[in-house]
Amino acid sequence: MKNRLQTLMEKGSKPLLSIYYTAGFPTLDATIPLAEFLEQQGVDSLEIGFPFSDPLADGPLIQASSSQAIENGMTLSVLFEQLKNLRDRVTIPVVLMGYLNPVLQMGEIAFLEACAQVGVDGVLLPDLPLDYFEKNLKIHYERLGIAPIFLITPETAEARIREIDRLSEGFMYQVASNSITGSEASLTAQTAYFERIAAMQLRNPCLIGFGIHNRETFELATTYSRGAIVGSAFIKQLQAQEGDWEKLVPFLNQFRNKELIL
Amino acid sequence: MKIKICGLFDPANIAAVVTEQPDLVGFIFYPKSKRYVGTNFDPKGIANLPKSTQKVGVFVNEDRDHIISIQTQFAFDYIQLHGEETPEDCAFLKAKGMRIIKAFGVDDGFDFSQLSDYLPYCDYFLFDTATPNYGGSGQSFPWEILNDYPFDTPLILSGGLGVVEVKTFLNSPIPKVEILDCNSKLEKENHHKNLDLVAEVLALTRKTNSGIQPDAAGYYGEFGGAFVPEMLYPNVKELQDQYLFHLHDPEFQREFQDLLKSYVGRPTPLFFSKNLSAHFGGKIYLKREDLNHTGAHKINNAIGQVLLAKRLQKKRIIAETGAGQHGVATATACALLGMECTIYMGEIDIQRQQPNVERMRLMGAKIVPATSGSRTLKDATNEAIRAWINNPVDTYYVIGSAVGPHPYPDMVARFQSVISEEIQVQLKQETGQAAPDYLIACLGGGSNAIGAFYHFIGNPKTQLIAVEAGGLGVDSGKTAATIALGKKGIIHGSKTFLIQTDDGQIVEPHSISAGLDYPGIGPVHAHLSATGLAKVVSVTDEEAVAAALQLARLDGILPALESAHALAYLPKMQLQPDEIVVVNLSGRGDKDLATLIPFLAHEK
Repeated sequence: MKNRLQTLMEKGSKPLLSIYYTAGFPTLDATIPLAEFLEQQGVDSLEIGFPFSDPLADGPLIQASSSQAIENGMTLSVLFEQLKNLRDRVTIPVVLMGYLNPVLQMGEIAFLEACAQVGVDGVLLPDLPLDYFEKNLKIHYERLGIAPIFLITPETAEARIREIDRLSEGFMYQVASNSITGSEASLTAQTAYFERIAAMQLRNPCLIGFGIHNRETFELATTYSRGAIVGSAFIKQLQAQEGDWEKLVPFLNQFRNKELIL
Repeated sequence: MKIKICGLFDPANIAAVVTEQPDLVGFIFYPKSKRYVGTNFDPKGIANLPKSTQKVGVFVNEDRDHIISIQTQFAFDYIQLHGEETPEDCAFLKAKGMRIIKAFGVDDGFDFSQLSDYLPYCDYFLFDTATPNYGGSGQSFPWEILNDYPFDTPLILSGGLGVVEVKTFLNSPIPKVEILDCNSKLEKENHHKNLDLVAEVLALTRKTNSGIQPDAAGYYGEFGGAFVPEMLYPNVKELQDQYLFHLHDPEFQREFQDLLKSYVGRPTPLFFSKNLSAHFGGKIYLKREDLNHTGAHKINNAIGQVLLAKRLQKKRIIAETGAGQHGVATATACALLGMECTIYMGEIDIQRQQPNVERMRLMGAKIVPATSGSRTLKDATNEAIRAWINNPVDTYYVIGSAVGPHPYPDMVARFQSVISEEIQVQLKQETGQAAPDYLIACLGGGSNAIGAFYHFIGNPKTQLIAVEAGGLGVDSGKTAATIALGKKGIIHGSKTFLIQTDDGQIVEPHSISAGLDYPGIGPVHAHLSATGLAKVVSVTDEEAVAAALQLARLDGILPALESAHALAYLPKMQLQPDEIVVVNLSGRGDKDLATLIPFLAHEK
């Protein structure tokens, strides 16, 4: 059976806008209201990060949001409690993202079962090794209908990209450059890499993330992919607007204007 | 200890044996041998074998040009000359770029002086039982005569070695023997190697006296592995694929050993402390790692890894540091070897370890403050890893402790194992026995402890004791006693014990010594502790300070506060007069003056 994520990927050809935010940030209870708000703004899917004290692949903005969330009292059990009503209020696909250690403490299978129960569609754990996944967890993702999502980067070898493609469902998270999150560089130097991946004719679509911070980078990325993920740039806006989410609308609209141009 | 499996010829048997990951495999190009590879032996099959197993071509009195032609096709890592080849033959082949193993048949009256003409041209000497047919007797010779071997070229022991003989050898190893060469005793029929016997022999060397090695995926039991984001996967994989190849390369070893000797100042003394012995009973020896260049054991590993980085053609070095000892060692190695160096250090540690910061700057390193989290060692490590993600192609990350994703813990252990190797030799000279009754080391991430333990792991004669930093007390909430408090989890790329909340957030540790102030522990130590191969205890800040002051007064040695944790366990032992204790004095205490001086005021 297809889950919401797979259905979304197959629906139409409009570039998909996905937003990342950290659960429990800026306030502990923002998780669900923010999801509702983003759906109303026409966002296609959500990556909700659960915080970890030592997020190796994240830049300063997401690190700070994680620390704040932990300080606010966010834990996996609090998060799953908040997500209990997720599917009464939000219809777009939701991917949970976070590091492996909190998942190990909860129990990997208990975690995946909780995800399935609240209606989470995909899980991305950046430090989950592929072979470990295949040996220990793949069967549970399949049984529970959760899409396993993995990263590919400019340095990932072609054979490994094929292997990741084989094991992924829903989409592959294509890291835009050799960078932690939050880079504000232009992505024009990456077009050869984007073209190379697009030309591989992979089984799964790619969403490009890391460094997507404005309309220019979004358009460039989505020229070569199914969609793009905005993370740090959104966190920065969220922090700046201090709870007045209506002020986020122009920031979000810049990504949607592409439809008007097309 | 490494194992060479010799006399392979059947392609299916070769493929099966190699999956057991022997250190070396040998192929015999001597037509009279029962295990001759024959004339249709396929070079492609050999080329496809994993690089981590080294290949040896074995010849007996073969024509030089024929050897060259075989080597052109097969590109063996070593050429083994098993006949009556002369020093000139060895010189000729060496000049063609081959690495040479010269074999000798040994009988009772073997005269080692005949080796001296071969010394410049041979990477190893192999000693086999003397027979008229150039080995292959399946008989052993009395190995003890190798104790009289007077040279530095490492040795390979051959002749009738099977599971039983390897076990016997490992119980009382001979210092210069690095490789055990197994052949007929691992066979059951058709001269094919029996996989169960091969696996059994390899398991013996992996577990016992030769130290401890992780499996192919980097696990020590259930601990270790490589839990890294995809951005780091290519770097880590490159290291996994290459590190053993380079570490096993005699050229690399020669360069490394030369620097350890002439630059670092090794071997470091093993000092018999009459005063500590009188005070605590027993015979207490101090392994003086504090006398290394830069004042701690960290330099052993820093030199090794920077040499490796050069071989991998990296341009920049990055490293994390807590107290600054590893940072200083890395900056030193980079200055010496001409590499650009950036050190990540917690903002708080930069303030409290100012002299080491200036030392690094003086040697041309750039210091980048880690401003995230608690701004100490854990966060410096995070920042170094992030810097690696941002510069994956040209940058090499030198990890200073036995932590991180595979292969770092094993690599650090191998570079630091020079400590236990020296202890074995020095203690034997001093006392007649190579293994102490107790070996004590402090335990933070675990680099000095694994270095001091390495060759004694699994030796029932020696109780290994690792001393963690108890901080204000294990139950105080202000501690770095990871084994005492930690739960299994993942930190900095490996599965191990770490101090964390129920929800899996890493907790800030506390120790008076910045070098032990780390919430995790090397996976090898998690394994040694879980399996009972080492005993893990803890002492408090206060006990460590008292032990530091005591050694200063008794012996005139000011130890690092890290090393003082190991000394602080002595009062808790009940030593018998003839029991031998070695304490690894991992570093000197000059860097800790600012911490120690206030305690002098207390004494008044």
